[in-house]
Amino acid sequence: MGPQHPALKEPANFTFKVEGELVIDVEPRIGYNHRGIEKAMESRTYIQNLYIAERVCGICSNAHQTCYTQCVEDVLNMEIPERAKYIRVLVAELERIHSHYLWLGVAAHEIGFDTLFYYIWRDREVVMDLLEEISGNRVNYAIPTIGGVRRDVQKDKIPEYLKMLDALGERIKFFKNICATEKTVLARADGVGFLSKEDAIRLSAVGPNLRASGVASDIRADSPYLVYDEIPWKVISYDGGDVLANVLVRVDETAESVKICKHCLEHLPDGPIRVKFSPMGKVPEGEAVSLVEAPRGELVHYIQSRGGDKPYRYKIRAPTFGNIPSVCEKLKGGYIADIPIVLAGIDPCFSCTDRMVFVDERKGKSWEMTGELLRRYGIEWYK
Amino acid sequence: MSLIENHKRFVDGFTKFLGAENILESKIPRERRVFITIKREKLRDAVKYLMDHEGFNHITTITGLDAGETLDVLYHLTKKDLSLTLRVKAPMDDPAVDSISDLMNGAFMYELEVHDLIGVVPRGHPNLKRLILPEDWPEGVHPLLKKWSLDKIKEEINGKEG
Repeated sequence: MGPQHPALKEPANFTFKVEGELVIDVEPRIGYNHRGIEKAMESRTYIQNLYIAERVCGICSNAHQTCYTQCVEDVLNMEIPERAKYIRVLVAELERIHSHYLWLGVAAHEIGFDTLFYYIWRDREVVMDLLEEISGNRVNYAIPTIGGVRRDVQKDKIPEYLKMLDALGERIKFFKNICATEKTVLARADGVGFLSKEDAIRLSAVGPNLRASGVASDIRADSPYLVYDEIPWKVISYDGGDVLANVLVRVDETAESVKICKHCLEHLPDGPIRVKFSPMGKVPEGEAVSLVEAPRGELVHYIQSRGGDKPYRYKIRAPTFGNIPSVCEKLKGGYIADIPIVLAGIDPCFSCTDRMVFVDERKGKSWEMTGELLRRYGIEWYK
Repeated sequence: MSLIENHKRFVDGFTKFLGAENILESKIPRERRVFITIKREKLRDAVKYLMDHEGFNHITTITGLDAGETLDVLYHLTKKDLSLTLRVKAPMDDPAVDSISDLMNGAFMYELEVHDLIGVVPRGHPNLKRLILPEDWPEGVHPLLKKWSLDKIKEEINGKEG
């Protein structure tokens, strides 16, 4: 199966230069999944783009839609109601919880710890149910809209939501304990895929990947949007720089997100949930940069409007793209068997690369391995 | 001091360093956002200054923008409480800018991206190759340029095969 096969998880290609079991160089090649979204958005109206933006990513759809609406609202110079801001934060953090839970499960699977994978994915259903209750959908929530949010949170349901969040908070403590002490996890994660603080900064890493290398940088704190500056929460960072630090950052972040969600529900201000966007859908001339901390890290959208109902230029940079240089650095000097978990460590949005090419420097031969074969290779190698 | 005043001071310092004749435009639309347009030749000097004196060490991305007569290249640099968009304008018939990958290592992928998709040529890039477009993609077809519509691209590719 080639790199573009639709049945595969998202594709990418990395060429590794190896000496025996050691990786000495990595060359990324992406684009197999390039859908020309920017060009598509430039030829559609602002209302249509609301739906395209959401479909940039299947996991962090809300982050993209939030970023898009913020970008357009910035050009419109539009202030959205307080209640809408709180609901946006609530959904954004629920999405982070679901995304981090999903990642933890995938990481457990990559190291062959499938029991943990099933445990985590079972508990993830709680947050999926919550998202469905609040938005009506499990995947694309369609909550942010230009001028506010699409759907309100029902007051009488809040106690029930809080109970569900408490359950999530409890379970994440249990998972933290497992991840920090379980021998299987430690053997495959502790000290694996190291990235120094200097390299993380030098290669402009983003998100949990950056914070796992000891840099406490988070867009929600560095460049607060919505109401993140009104809510008590803290930026999580670990100094380890390895896969274990990546795990712990995400586990702790999930706990923080649960707290943020509870705060939002308990302090939800009254009032309208949106202001009207012009019915003709026209946006004046202007440009704006919008930054959002997506589950995978810093997400940026740029817009240039030349008037009319379509953007003249729309640019998106998703966090995984920003993390490729640093993950290549992480892979260098490691074992072939560690490639799946190190790659998974940045929570790549084209996860599980379907095909890898190996070039043995000394013997001058080259061969290919699929992602699944490589995963099994890693598990066998560590047995 | 308010953030806006802080940004003004930053823009003044930057203008003084680069020389007012090299700054084509600067604006502070709101807190945490600054847009500056500089002369193309001054890009590397500007980036060095921003790194050494203003603490910008993170490149968020590079945007290429078909502005009609010019091809604009926007460098989005981020630090705490400020997202700076540094813009240079290259003429359409000579869309080259100096590569900054050796200064900001994180930029090398973004330079490849704008090279593929909109035809910006990063002069001095360490490994200029295709990153996103396929190897057999026709030379000179940069899909994000306004002159390339979907139909035209199809025509170009099919014409080549036919």
